[in-house]
Amino acid sequence: MWQSLPELGTGIVYAILVAAAYTFAVALAAGRGRPRLLQAARLGAYTTSALVLFAVLLLSYAFVSHDFRIRYVAHYSDRRMSTAYLLTSLWGGQDGSLLWWSLLLSGYISACVAWLKGRYRELQPYVIATLMVILGFFAMLMLFAANPFETSIAGARPDGEGLNPLLQNYWMIIHPPCLYMGFVGCSVPFAFCVSALVTRRLDNEWVIAVRKWMLFAFLFLSIGNVLGMMWAYEELGWGGYWAWDPVENAACLPWFTAAAYVHSTMIQERRPMLRVWNVFLICLTFFLTIFGTFLTRAGIITSVHSFAQSSIGSYFVYFMGVILGTSLGLMVWRLPELKSKGQIEAAASREAMFVANNWALLGGMTFILVSTMYPKISELWGESATVGPPHFNRWMGPIGLIIFALMGLAPLFGWRKTSGASIKKAFRAPLIALAATVVLHLALGGYLGYPFFVARDAFYPGVVGVILQKVGSCLPGITIALCGFNVAVIVQEFVRGVGARRAAAGKRGEQESTLVALFRLVEKNRRRYGGYIVHLGIVSMFIGFTGTAWNIDRETAMVPGQSYRIGEYDLKYEGSRRCPGNPKCSPAEQADIEKMMIFADIEVTRSGKKLGHVHPAKFIYQAQPDGPTTEVAMMRSLHEDLYTVVGQIDPQTKRATFQFHVNPLVSWIWLGLLILITGTVTSLFPELSLGEVGAWSYVRGAAGVATGTAFAVWIAMAPGMAYTHERPAPAARGPAVTSIRSLRQLPTAGLGAAGFVGLALGSVVSFGRRRRVDAKSPCD
Amino acid sequence: MNNRLPRMHVVRWAAPLITLFAAIIAGTLFGVQLVVLTLAAAALLLVIWLLWSSVQALAGETELTFEEAFSLGTRSAEEEQKRAVLRALKDLEYERSVGKISEDDYHEYSARYRAEAKRLIQTLDENLAEGRKQVEHELQRRLSKKAVKTKPTDAPEARSNGGSAPDAEREANAPITRDCPFCQAKNELDARFCKACGKSLAEAEESSS
Repeated sequence: MWQSLPELGTGIVYAILVAAAYTFAVALAAGRGRPRLLQAARLGAYTTSALVLFAVLLLSYAFVSHDFRIRYVAHYSDRRMSTAYLLTSLWGGQDGSLLWWSLLLSGYISACVAWLKGRYRELQPYVIATLMVILGFFAMLMLFAANPFETSIAGARPDGEGLNPLLQNYWMIIHPPCLYMGFVGCSVPFAFCVSALVTRRLDNEWVIAVRKWMLFAFLFLSIGNVLGMMWAYEELGWGGYWAWDPVENAACLPWFTAAAYVHSTMIQERRPMLRVWNVFLICLTFFLTIFGTFLTRAGIITSVHSFAQSSIGSYFVYFMGVILGTSLGLMVWRLPELKSKGQIEAAASREAMFVANNWALLGGMTFILVSTMYPKISELWGESATVGPPHFNRWMGPIGLIIFALMGLAPLFGWRKTSGASIKKAFRAPLIALAATVVLHLALGGYLGYPFFVARDAFYPGVVGVILQKVGSCLPGITIALCGFNVAVIVQEFVRGVGARRAAAGKRGEQESTLVALFRLVEKNRRRYGGYIVHLGIVSMFIGFTGTAWNIDRETAMVPGQSYRIGEYDLKYEGSRRCPGNPKCSPAEQADIEKMMIFADIEVTRSGKKLGHVHPAKFIYQAQPDGPTTEVAMMRSLHEDLYTVVGQIDPQTKRATFQFHVNPLVSWIWLGLLILITGTVTSLFPELSLGEVGAWSYVRGAAGVATGTAFAVWIAMAPGMAYTHERPAPAARGPAVTSIRSLRQLPTAGLGAAGFVGLALGSVVSFGRRRRVDAKSPCD
Repeated sequence: MNNRLPRMHVVRWAAPLITLFAAIIAGTLFGVQLVVLTLAAAALLLVIWLLWSSVQALAGETELTFEEAFSLGTRSAEEEQKRAVLRALKDLEYERSVGKISEDDYHEYSARYRAEAKRLIQTLDENLAEGRKQVEHELQRRLSKKAVKTKPTDAPEARSNGGSAPDAEREANAPITRDCPFCQAKNELDARFCKACGKSLAEAEESSS
């Protein structure tokens, strides 16, 4: 095996394709009148998944044993890398990331097949068949275009090239897997949708089956996207977190359609409406995940993710054609059965609001899609246009606000129709909150450094330009006002719910304290109140996004001893040092053999009070000496982030160029993600306990472990981020740069604790669920 | 099959544990490479076992498990619809409690959903009736074959949930609806409002008594 590992690996990829084909055939046979074959198909699906796992383990073995005969291993690792980063390389490059994608898909397939045991019998064969087609596509892709086990023509090298330094950081370890979890997760709803179309079982059955899977995918799409923002913010060093890069855009497209689906499905679950729409949204979401991968991989539009490009684009084009053809064909074929049997009864109803919200989300998605593709589209008529961030920022501001406003409005209406009196009652408090926010903001905003109006340049000539300029200049004020409105809506929902519970308890002659009532309210309606918590997370994110309106960006050059003032900060450049070598460097920095680090030490004072030091740096990796990386140093707070980047440092005079940014409110975005995770997990869990048996406890356990670990790793990393605040002097030990630490320096105790917390959460959740299944009736 | 079940259960838990243990031992003795190799070997064994089981099932050599046999008979569409209607009813109650829906609308929709739920439950019962008859027949047969010594009244007792036969009879003869004093529509015994005219039945009862 040691001699023929690459051949064995390639053979296993062949075997994956064969096993997928076998399972597909057996599943189809089971669907067409031979139900006894279903068990064979289910086992076939497990076999295929286990084969993918075996292939991934083989590749891992090649990485940890430095088998540089394999091109992929030689290209993305070297002998100096730590084991953790060696395993990260599994998804660091193209070929491996396809295998990694297949592994995640296999995980989903196994979980789905296990969950399906004994339920949705009619849908099951086609669900398995569809998933096998998707897995088969990735196997084919690996075999014909991007085989991770391919050997280099030149034979084994003494050492590899090493992983791209941009990817050697903490966020990059967890960002791609999270995003992939979201992307891949959209395959399961798609499989159910295809299956429902094929079997004509178009009632609520499949919608209810899909809901949990979609919510799970939505959760990971959100986490993946925000982690991507963090990576860009901390690693790319241009001062922001979202540059409307084609790949970033591609990653957020399915989020929009998934968010739309999560809402529109609620209507179909209650009434026989929007059936075509939901089928369309599911197919579109899946299509967009493949499209996003295509955009990242094929590199048809220039992007920061260019490290992942290759020539596999044409395969994706064919596959997208197959998806489009299949889903459209099936939809047209089943159109008569998909027809709505109900209609929206009044404009003042939650259904109407949801539909409006769906259109706004889809509109936002279409805008991003078209703008991203515009450089390519414009080539059709011989023009080669570029679309930059200003274009997106100008338009997405207003579009985002429409979605944001609708998000606040929808909960104020009841299902079907809402009477004038109850609308009046529902709107009173939120409108008062809106007015109060506007007044407060106008009065205090300027004083606090967050003025209501900001000056904007006209982006276009003509009327549209003037309108966009006017809207743009009061956008921060409107956003903050809507934040007030939205928070009031959510608080009101909770207050009214608690009130109703306490009143009901009072009627029964019991006493329920506010806290108990709140807890029980959420527990009994987790889906609804989980949704509201997610909304709260979105509000927090919007506060963070608005912060960009008040950014301060400066560039300067300084010699040691010089000071520079930005906002309320005084930054004193004390000098630069080169590690390893300089006596001021910490032992960890001295011992680093992977790279040379040049730090600039800056003392930070705010309004006369010393806050500590920041150390922006340039790292030069031995594996890639030509491309020094920029290492950002930050001081974070809920109020604002001080973001420093060093450009060039003259080795003789120590004169250095700097970029300084003061980014207000950015931390609110990360906070928003935490709230969003809490909300989604809240609304995900109870639905799982709706009288389900068996495998769900495992899925719940896995979900618990995944989220728990994500949380815990996060918490474990928090001291690393706060480090700069406490450090008194640069000479003290340890690297002071906030985020950039190699994995060896990660607190191992923290990671261990993370694992335990995740495990504990998972087991508590799954055992808790078992008890509930016994105790609860299915319709509770 | 009964003998196989617990054994499978043990294997399901023991195999991963053994693998984990072997991997930890290999890791501490020989380093991380051996850990990966051990896990890979376990994955390969898993593949072989799964493939073998799948081919066996394909050739029809495995018995149908109880869950599978049971799931062959279930029709989940109505079940899901019933759940949706019950959920809608729950929503309706909630919205009424927080004052988002007017009383008139509440009664209208509540009646509509209740009727729908009733229809679905009836359909589900009808679907199950055939199977239930068979099961009861089979149960009778086995009981009479096996438990000759037990009293003959055992079987009906079990069926009527522990109550005696006269009780069940009385229950069957008892009225299951009552008429609305205002519009004479038939309503459930526990209904508080008439589903046709919406007037309070509880009040009517109090005034009549």
